[in-house]
Amino acid sequence: MSKMRSSRKIFAALAAAIVVLAGCAQQRADDPNVRGIGYVRIEEVLKKHPLYPQLAQIDDSIDALGLHSLGAGAVPHTGKQIAVQTKELNNELKAAQDRANGILRQKQLDYAQREQAAISAALAAAGAGTNGAQSAQAMQNISASQAQQVTAQANNDFAQYQQSVVSQSNAALQSIGAQLSARADRAFGQRATQLQERESQLSLELSQQDANKRLQLRMKLNGLALPDATRKQYREELAALDAREAAAVSAQRARDQQTLAAYRAQLNGQVRTEMAAQSAKIHADTQAKLQTRRNEVSQAVSSQLQGLRPAAVPSNLPAATRDRIAQIDRTFKAQFQADAQKTIAQYQATKAELDARYAELQGADATATGAANSQLGQLQRERDDLYNKMVEQIRRDAGTVAAKRGLQVVLVNIEAAPGGIDLTNDVERDIESLHE
Amino acid sequence: MLAVFFLAVLVAPAAIAADLTDVGYLDQAAVGALPQFQRANAEVAQYKAQLDPQFAAAMKHARNDADRQRISGEFQQKFLDKQRQVLGPLFARAQTAIAQIASNQRLSVVVDKRIVVFGGQNITKSVVDLVNGPGPVVPPASTPPPADIGFVDQTQIDQLPKIKAANDNFLKFASDARQGALQKMQAAKKNQQQQQQIFQDYQKSLNDEQNRTLKPLVDQTRSAMANVANQKHLILVIDRADIIYGGADITADVQNALK
Repeated sequence: MSKMRSSRKIFAALAAAIVVLAGCAQQRADDPNVRGIGYVRIEEVLKKHPLYPQLAQIDDSIDALGLHSLGAGAVPHTGKQIAVQTKELNNELKAAQDRANGILRQKQLDYAQREQAAISAALAAAGAGTNGAQSAQAMQNISASQAQQVTAQANNDFAQYQQSVVSQSNAALQSIGAQLSARADRAFGQRATQLQERESQLSLELSQQDANKRLQLRMKLNGLALPDATRKQYREELAALDAREAAAVSAQRARDQQTLAAYRAQLNGQVRTEMAAQSAKIHADTQAKLQTRRNEVSQAVSSQLQGLRPAAVPSNLPAATRDRIAQIDRTFKAQFQADAQKTIAQYQATKAELDARYAELQGADATATGAANSQLGQLQRERDDLYNKMVEQIRRDAGTVAAKRGLQVVLVNIEAAPGGIDLTNDVERDIESLHE
Repeated sequence: MLAVFFLAVLVAPAAIAADLTDVGYLDQAAVGALPQFQRANAEVAQYKAQLDPQFAAAMKHARNDADRQRISGEFQQKFLDKQRQVLGPLFARAQTAIAQIASNQRLSVVVDKRIVVFGGQNITKSVVDLVNGPGPVVPPASTPPPADIGFVDQTQIDQLPKIKAANDNFLKFASDARQGALQKMQAAKKNQQQQQQIFQDYQKSLNDEQNRTLKPLVDQTRSAMANVANQKHLILVIDRADIIYGGADITADVQNALK
């Protein structure tokens, strides 16, 4: 009997101890400070989820890709910009071809004149009994009027070319200016649209949020036995609600206008800087083109003046003289071939460089407009899927824990919690056990 | 045997809190998907589509940024008026339906479905039925009972001078840091290792600045909310955006506490 009493005492003490311990460890659902309500800090639990490192990695990749794609902003991305650059490259290629052909023609003419001069000299050296001296003299016989004509024509051509290059440069500058302004306007428009959408959203949210209060006031105003003073007060409250919403939207709009003004100033600054850089580049290109053309014209005039009216080789020449002329012809042809080959090699090098730039341009196009966007979209989808799966799992787990704890409702996205039961640690433990 | 009885009592608190909760929730997406809401949204979208070219045409004649801002404001106001005109009555009907259902089911608060992970009363179907029903929806005779759940309007809290200044400073810092990182990225060109390092430095600088400037304010705000909620015997505080009906608005008290 005394043994049984003793056992009961032990059990009672044990039970009391358990009650005390349980009271310390866990709040009850019916506690006045809980009232059946629990909550979970879901962002904390997410960090303990076994898949969190994967989620964080995707987030980092999205951020990094965003930064990369913005970082590549200086490289034209749109199809139109790519087309413009391709056209520029085509023009450069065409210019390189024309330049090479021009040089070849010039060299051909030059070698022909030098050959002619050498032949004339050989004929003159052949001396008496031939008409070599006369022929040589004829080769040098350039009338003053012809020389003037050649020079005038050359100057005229150069002036036309100069005018054409300057016009092209001006047109290019205007076009670039228009493109930069259009780009800035587009960016400004996009930002303005974003802000306007935000204002609409705010207006909508405010009217939704106040709908509850507004409804209550209207319900009160429907009461027949309402003193005038109270009715006036409710009406004023209703008006205050409207005014508060309008003020909030106006304040937001004022802030957005400030943002837009600052953005416009920033865009204008960017346009000015870029325009100055492009202008300097075009100006330098124009000067280089004109200088090149000036040199070419100068050489051409000089050659033409030297090469006007070349004499024909007489047919009744001694064998030795003919052999000498044939030798001169072979020598100059060989020299011309070797020299021309150098020009062709230079053209090939230019073309190879342009080919590389084509490839780079196409690569930039693919990366910028296709791959990067598609990669970003894919990552975002993966991220959403993973996040939703993780949150769904946490929600299920929280539901199980809440049921065990006898709670009536469990919420997430809590701003502050002076009461209620925080299930975060319990859910974290369960979620962490997924690691094991 | 007695120990087993005591233990059984300890592990079964569910029986104690078996009453239905006075917290309801609504799936707003389901209400938004109702044909009348869809039609209204389409009407608003169509109006915007008509307005857009007019807006673009008006902007072409703008002489300066002041003109552009004025035109932008005018068109925005037109759009908001239309939005209110078309969607306003529908919102009002839905809100009255929510109030009536909440009153019938003795709910003190109705929250968005997305924040409920367990329990609560789902009133979505009842609300949808009432909104779709014929005739006007009658408002309830009584206002909602006092709730255990309070809410704050975070957008208003964010407008407090010290919080706004901190947010603005952080945004400027973030913008400058981003610009700096972009320039370094461009300089690094195809050196991926260097770019990775630049990105990590950029992220770290943002986190550090956030912890230095914003986190103390967030903690202070949370603490103020908890104190106000405690004084008002509230259990939880949620954001206003998640409240659909009822609940205790403690925004003004929190603003005062933070001043």
